[in-house]
Amino acid sequence: MQGIVISDVIIGILATGVRLLAPFLFASLGEMFCQRSGVFNLGVEGIMMMGAFVGFFVTLRLGNPYLGVVMAILAGIVLGLLMALISVTMQAPQGISGIGLHMFCWGLSGLLFRVYVGFITSIDGFKPLPIPGLADIPVLGPILFQHNWMVYLSILFVPISWFVLFKTNWGLKVRAVGVAPQAADTLGVNVNAVRYQCLMLGGALAGLAGAFLTVGQANMYADNITAGRGFIAVALVYFGRWNPVGILLGSLLFSMMNSLQLWIQVLGINFPYEFAVILPYVVTIAALAVAVKNVWAPTALGKPFRRESI
Amino acid sequence: MKRFTKGLTAVFVLVLLVGVCVGFGEASSKVRIALVLASTTDDMAWSQSMYDALLALQKQLGKDKMELVVSERLGNPVDAGAAIRQYADQGFDIVIAHGAQFQSVVFEVAEDFPKTSFAYGSAFKTAPNVFAYEPLAQQGAYLNGLLAGYMTKTGIVAVVGPVESGDAVKYNYGFEQGVRAANPKANFRIAYTGSFGDVVGAGELAKVHMDAGADFLTGSSQQAVGAVRACAERPGVYWLATDMDQSSLAPDKVLASQVYHWEKLVSHMLDLRAQGIIGGQHLYLSFADGTLEFRVSPKLADKIPADVMSKIEKAKQEIIDGTLVIELPKGTK
Amino acid sequence: MKKSNRLVQSLSQVALLAGALLLALLVGAILIAIAGANPLVAYKSMFLGPFSGKFGMTESLVKATPLLLVGLGVVTSFRSGILNIGGEGQMVMGAIAGAAVALAFPKWPAVILLPLTLIVSVLAGAVWGGFAGWLKAKLGVNEILSTVMLNSIALQLCLYLIRGPMIDPEEIAYGTGTPQTAQLPRQIWMARLVKGTRFHWGFFLAVALAFVVFIFLWRTTIGYRMRAAGEGPDAARAAGINVEKYQILAMAMAGGFAGLAGMVEVLGVHRRVLEGLSAGYGFSGIVVALFGRLHPIGAIPAAILFGMLTLGADMMQRAVAIPAAIVMAIQGLVVLFVVGSDIFVRHPEIWRRWFRKKDPDTLGRLEADSAGNRN
Repeated sequence: MQGIVISDVIIGILATGVRLLAPFLFASLGEMFCQRSGVFNLGVEGIMMMGAFVGFFVTLRLGNPYLGVVMAILAGIVLGLLMALISVTMQAPQGISGIGLHMFCWGLSGLLFRVYVGFITSIDGFKPLPIPGLADIPVLGPILFQHNWMVYLSILFVPISWFVLFKTNWGLKVRAVGVAPQAADTLGVNVNAVRYQCLMLGGALAGLAGAFLTVGQANMYADNITAGRGFIAVALVYFGRWNPVGILLGSLLFSMMNSLQLWIQVLGINFPYEFAVILPYVVTIAALAVAVKNVWAPTALGKPFRRESI
Repeated sequence: MKRFTKGLTAVFVLVLLVGVCVGFGEASSKVRIALVLASTTDDMAWSQSMYDALLALQKQLGKDKMELVVSERLGNPVDAGAAIRQYADQGFDIVIAHGAQFQSVVFEVAEDFPKTSFAYGSAFKTAPNVFAYEPLAQQGAYLNGLLAGYMTKTGIVAVVGPVESGDAVKYNYGFEQGVRAANPKANFRIAYTGSFGDVVGAGELAKVHMDAGADFLTGSSQQAVGAVRACAERPGVYWLATDMDQSSLAPDKVLASQVYHWEKLVSHMLDLRAQGIIGGQHLYLSFADGTLEFRVSPKLADKIPADVMSKIEKAKQEIIDGTLVIELPKGTK
Repeated sequence: MKKSNRLVQSLSQVALLAGALLLALLVGAILIAIAGANPLVAYKSMFLGPFSGKFGMTESLVKATPLLLVGLGVVTSFRSGILNIGGEGQMVMGAIAGAAVALAFPKWPAVILLPLTLIVSVLAGAVWGGFAGWLKAKLGVNEILSTVMLNSIALQLCLYLIRGPMIDPEEIAYGTGTPQTAQLPRQIWMARLVKGTRFHWGFFLAVALAFVVFIFLWRTTIGYRMRAAGEGPDAARAAGINVEKYQILAMAMAGGFAGLAGMVEVLGVHRRVLEGLSAGYGFSGIVVALFGRLHPIGAIPAAILFGMLTLGADMMQRAVAIPAAIVMAIQGLVVLFVVGSDIFVRHPEIWRRWFRKKDPDTLGRLEADSAGNRN
């Protein structure tokens, strides 16, 4: 522990935590819209994988990471449409179709990587973009304002999502469709259209989250690059109780705990590292368990809508 | 009609004879090798080092002399077991299960196919038709450690580990000894991602190491490539590679690599088979027989002071002579 | 009349499944072509592989065994209104707990030790699954969140145990340190039934348990209440059923089956606990449960079919040398097409509307039928 300034460590922990936040925030906010409209998309992990691959591949071939991000979002939208086709139109059980989508995307991204790239190579992704003025503030600067632009964007998405969900007409429709689809239908809302839109939005954000991993974080691609992050993102939606602010708190808690465990290990505090690795998982469950009990959920979550079956 | 039947029979017999001859001819001249991998052939680490080596060997021997098939992504022992058994069933001469985790299943299948050679590692346990192989990873690790210890400016040297087991433990332990030998005051830090394949996690861990002051980093298994790439972002930081030469990922950062020359080990195995020895031996990769290589990146060679290089060369020679023994951990923590 | 109707119904279900499989494989053929192989040759080895000799036939059943056990747990919990995606963690916990007991008492005779290890593994899995159920019922922690987290926790816990306190002493002695336990005492290994293969009697245990689950769910009061809680929690509550209690029970049972699956894998296939033991069965078991129409008896052919499919796909990959990723992609396609086609089973009237003239009488009856069958 010699030679370590405690305040630097604390700043380091918080700054790392903020950087780890982005993929969870993107994917969770997207999944929140899906679930708010009544569709449970367990395929987020798979969409993230495809987003990660597409973002990487486009950047590798065209040398433009921005284009990579755009294409990853498009790929996410297409996969969101596929999920919508299966779980909204075909009314398939959503948990299982999500697992199917995950398997398909895992295989497809691995295949495309093998056929069209074939070896591990690196790309030039986004560099940190310190915000002039703000980045120089002591303590807060390094924690919040010295990341790449996608990190800022992910945090910006929290108030935007909140506004869209609670203050716009479309957000009202989404919430109505997730709570009382029959009633919304009678009032002239096209239930399935809203659900399609939400799944496409969720897919886009999951694709973006995946692209962050390759273009904004690792600057490379490898098989199974998401390593379970998509499932965590789905779990965080429940943690956040379908509210953008709650999701921000959940993602913050999870990524701060992850950052903390990395720093604990790095600074050589001696205990089996497995216990460090599981810290975020344990704390997330514990935090929710001791939080105020609140079992509210979109009541139509997981139930396909059929006009005929009243 | 009779003549026709006779003719047909003759042709049939001829075809059969030719077939048998070709069959025998093939069996004697062509060696058939099957490779079973836990990750992929392009993981830039443990699995790829073996796959590339076998490809090189095939090129050397010629495709008509050596057949090579590979089955990847067999991280769980269930599917790996099916693959190993199927290859043995199909009459492959050597089935290489490239991972210590395949021990159980290799022994089980080996019992049922006594004429087939099996090889796996890193491991110690052999059977009459099972070779165990093991890179003396601690030796190259020691040299990497020396390099880091002598050259670190911040005095902080770090390991991005996967899971604390097997080869990773040996490598890390050897590395630590090297660092301490070169620089007793160095701050040696070690942390694990808890996963063999999480490249993003390894990258983040490397960033934390660097934020905390480390300027020499190393790490093993396929997750490590994420850490290599993370190093490329920071000035004044170097990476020391193992398993294979990873400098293509970060040409300005990978100072040296411990490279495994599996092709020599496999070719030795073929020689043994030619002598009728189909297993039962414990084979090593070591500096002594050139199966381990300590490769300094040609591009960065001038960054290493001459006296450091000569100390490393000396240590390497002592390892080869046997005067310097790199210790292994006494049991696991 | 009714009997023949049911026959037509189940026949059309089989035809539908076959159609979905065919479509999935058609799309898969494109992927195979992308990888540079001939799809026809590839599929030939995929379909003939599992039937080629004793290896293929038995290996499918080896895979089907844990799939069926996990699937039975999923059926039980799904019928009670909970989706258990914690099978991976529960399998690992069952295996490690059972192995700990077996390694602690290596001298005990099989008659005592074997049932004991199996029971311990069921209990460990049940505790791990039931904990998620308890968190949901008592503290309002959603089971998706808790099981995702508990999977990671179980995995790391198991790694800690098999590289630390429970590591094979030989691995320490030789300094190789591979994370695995010592072999379990030989007397409790599940006997292999066909020489030269790893087909063991755990398969028959799983099949027998499928019938037990069927009887439990459809012939006992508790089973009835669990299904009632799943079909309509509000109606069940109104009828005086303690829905939360039965959901905890359902999660515990799902965990118990997964735990047992883990132990059966250890005793029948690996004979020790090692890394990667759960092999994704926790997730594919969910698929099997669905293929089996969420019915315990239906899960038996579903598990065998899925076992054959995964083995065949693996064999195909080796036969034509294409990237292993294709196997996963094709499995995913099969799942997507099968769940997508499911709508025609639940609502056959759509089918009829497409292919026949409307017959209001049949339509009404079928709708009433399908409403009654809704799960």
